[in-house]
Amino acid sequence: MNGDARGWRIALLPDTLVNPREASRSALPDVLGILEAAGYGVLQLPPPGEHGPLLAAIADQVAEYAHHGYAVAAVGVRGEPGGGLHWRRLAPLLRHRGVALPPRHLVRALVDTATEGERLAAFLSGYDLPVEEQRRWRV
Amino acid sequence: MKQDARRRVALIANCLLNQNAKVCEGAHYRGLVSPVVQALRSRGYELQQLPCPELAFAGARRWWAVYEQYDTPAYRAHCRRLAQAIAPLIEQYIRRGDEVILIGLDGSPSTGVRFTSSKPDWGGRPNRPDDDWEIVPRRGIWIEELEAELKRRGLPSVPATGWALDMGRFDEAGSRRDLEEFLESREAAQGSGDDPAVP
Repeated sequence: MNGDARGWRIALLPDTLVNPREASRSALPDVLGILEAAGYGVLQLPPPGEHGPLLAAIADQVAEYAHHGYAVAAVGVRGEPGGGLHWRRLAPLLRHRGVALPPRHLVRALVDTATEGERLAAFLSGYDLPVEEQRRWRV
Repeated sequence: MKQDARRRVALIANCLLNQNAKVCEGAHYRGLVSPVVQALRSRGYELQQLPCPELAFAGARRWWAVYEQYDTPAYRAHCRRLAQAIAPLIEQYIRRGDEVILIGLDGSPSTGVRFTSSKPDWGGRPNRPDDDWEIVPRRGIWIEELEAELKRRGLPSVPATGWALDMGRFDEAGSRRDLEEFLESREAAQGSGDDPAVP
């Protein structure tokens, strides 16, 4: 694509990592900053609660990306139900749309944030579609 | 029980967190549009990403299109479904007294706030010359339908502006100035207490 800057990689991200509360901010790495540096786009999951139609809309978007050469990963929080990703609701919605479940990386709170940030950065840089899939779509 | 402090929440166009949503050749960043994210976070706004209606409707490999091509009953119904999916969250923010703003994408046929793209005679073989469309001052289809859904719920209008990414020639510095001015005007309005009351 002429002059197009897209990175072709996307992370599903819990609301709590998009908008860390004041109390947990120092307990977590700056996930948005790490995603930006890694060239990932973000699909934000809603906060805890019932969000059936919104999760279906997000699953539709993931299916469209997954079927057209984009690498979709999920970054959650260890200790949160479903990683904060509504995984028990989202996983069947994705399967129903013929999407292989994205690889999941769980960030740990209250440990050394620099180390956690490096672990996340390594996961993000190490993940992409196979080269032949990239060549097929990313022109 | 003590209520949470009043929060600032910015509803933001999907592609401001994810440039992969853009139409082919429309992405100016790899992923996040960092000047927007930084401006909002530095002022204490939480981010609430809106769904991208074009991606789910016309696909990741859709053609470029103008307002008039998306102005169909089927696309408006699709936008209404998405609006109904995200509106409960927005209603929750507004009813608990949060300061809610909307940052769209100016020039977009769907997510434009101050401007959208227009060319009533577009259609057929997609071989139009460069820049063969006009920028007109009006909402995009998605923003029209989202605002209509919030109104149906009896909510006050949300102060809004657009990041001018789809205006033909992208001027990042100018866009940044516009956004800063808008955010400063919101702070002044908050300070003077002239915000509309929630019904």
